[in-house]
Amino acid sequence: MAKLSRLIKGELKRLVKYKILPVSLVTAVLWIGLFLFLSPQEAQRITPLVILVDVAAMSILLLGAFHHLEKQDGAIRTMLVMPVTVGQILTAKAAASMVLALESAAITAAALYVIHGLTLNYALLLFFVAVAGIGHAAIGFVLALNSRDFSSMLGLLMGYLFVFTLPSILFSLGAIAEKYEWLLLLSPSHAASHLITSVVRGEFRVGMAAAACLYLAVLAGALFRFAVHPQFKDNAMRG
Amino acid sequence: METAFRVRDLRFRYPTSSADTIKGISFDVREGEVFGLLGPSGAGKSTTQKIMVKLLEGYEGSIQYFGRDLGSLGSAFYEEIGVGFEVPVHFTKLTALENMEFFAGFYQKTADIQELMERVGLWEYRQVKVGEYSKGMKVRLNFVRAMLNRPRFLFLDEVTNGLDPKNARVIKDMIAEYRDQGGTVFLTTHLMNDVEQLCDRVAFCVDGRLVEISTPRDLKLKYGRREVKVEYRKNGVLASAVFPLDGIGFNEEFQQLLQTAEVETIHSGETSMEEIFIIVTGVELDGQAEQAD
Repeated sequence: MAKLSRLIKGELKRLVKYKILPVSLVTAVLWIGLFLFLSPQEAQRITPLVILVDVAAMSILLLGAFHHLEKQDGAIRTMLVMPVTVGQILTAKAAASMVLALESAAITAAALYVIHGLTLNYALLLFFVAVAGIGHAAIGFVLALNSRDFSSMLGLLMGYLFVFTLPSILFSLGAIAEKYEWLLLLSPSHAASHLITSVVRGEFRVGMAAAACLYLAVLAGALFRFAVHPQFKDNAMRG
Repeated sequence: METAFRVRDLRFRYPTSSADTIKGISFDVREGEVFGLLGPSGAGKSTTQKIMVKLLEGYEGSIQYFGRDLGSLGSAFYEEIGVGFEVPVHFTKLTALENMEFFAGFYQKTADIQELMERVGLWEYRQVKVGEYSKGMKVRLNFVRAMLNRPRFLFLDEVTNGLDPKNARVIKDMIAEYRDQGGTVFLTTHLMNDVEQLCDRVAFCVDGRLVEISTPRDLKLKYGRREVKVEYRKNGVLASAVFPLDGIGFNEEFQQLLQTAEVETIHSGETSMEEIFIIVTGVELDGQAEQAD
């Protein structure tokens, strides 16, 4: 546990040194600026999208950038010959990625309260963001490990967003009928979107929310176990 | 002397390859020795080392580390070994000291970071980001990283590659001291100077097979010519003569030459490790001196 905690501290320190955490904070502040020009109702409507963008797309993007920087440095190689397991290294990286998502959600929720006096179920929000965050961290790792460099990862991310996020946006615009939402839950983006929208609006469909949570957790577990873990060492060695 | 590593019939094939990279090699590394694995690029040296440090899995054959099956060893194995990579392996946005302190924090026993960095001449640059280091400084920092946990067994890959002679000497002295204090070293290199100065035994790897394992001395005897070459001046003219080494003390012609001629040099037919490398591997060193497999 002490080693895991040290790994996580190291990840967070490097998030700051590599300017990834500051960039994430600046992005969150930009969203806050946007809230100043919106009515409370508009702000409440846009908040799920703001959080989703940070939890899904930004997390994947930042995790990918971080991974490719460290791979380029060769630092992952030397971490693999430390007395820690690959599982601990991945857990620390996933935890650092979740910190980014939680930090963004917390700032957004705080801004919603300070600017418009709107309150949410904060505990549930953080729980849902954590679940969505871990799911997307796993997806981020899969994309990072299957791309040569950061540019090629951006290509993969665009493909992912097109296939999985676009339908969710179309649904939110009413272009896809509500009866298909269960099917849409197969998209990790939509599962995350459903959870975050539920908690921001305070309208829950318990069965669907539970299914979305379970799906994201199982997806994260499966991806880490069968796609990320086996590939991580080999990927680092290829340098 | 205990056997640190016992490797038997090791075979390995990369998933994307159609042929084995390592084709059934066997060797022992004895505790307290510097064992050099030499060979041309692509011969399988680095692959062998990666398998031995558990960075590559899926090999055939058996590897034992101090009598224990390598596959059964968990992450605690890394408490005992130090690994010096050829390529830089540090967080470039962190300072050298931040890097060393981060890595040192994971080990139960650690060396004195200041002492190590002072020895390799990096202490005064400890607050400089590694990204701003020169290639030679990164190589020296790699060595410090490998020594951080006071390892029982040290793996070094091209440890002096890219260093100037003065810094290469410092690193080689530190390796020799480490060995003298009971440490064991597995060294992969193409620099024959390092081999001559450091290795107790060497193995030559060619196309995934070991073709020679011996001490540098025995190899020199085996591949050298048993002869003595004398260069001398007679009546102001430079000349040379070669005599068989066997029975040289009773060779009258040789003795007469020593007494009558102005001898300038006397050389035995001992060959260099570089020549042995070329003979054994069939590969010229110059052509691949800047790369390792």
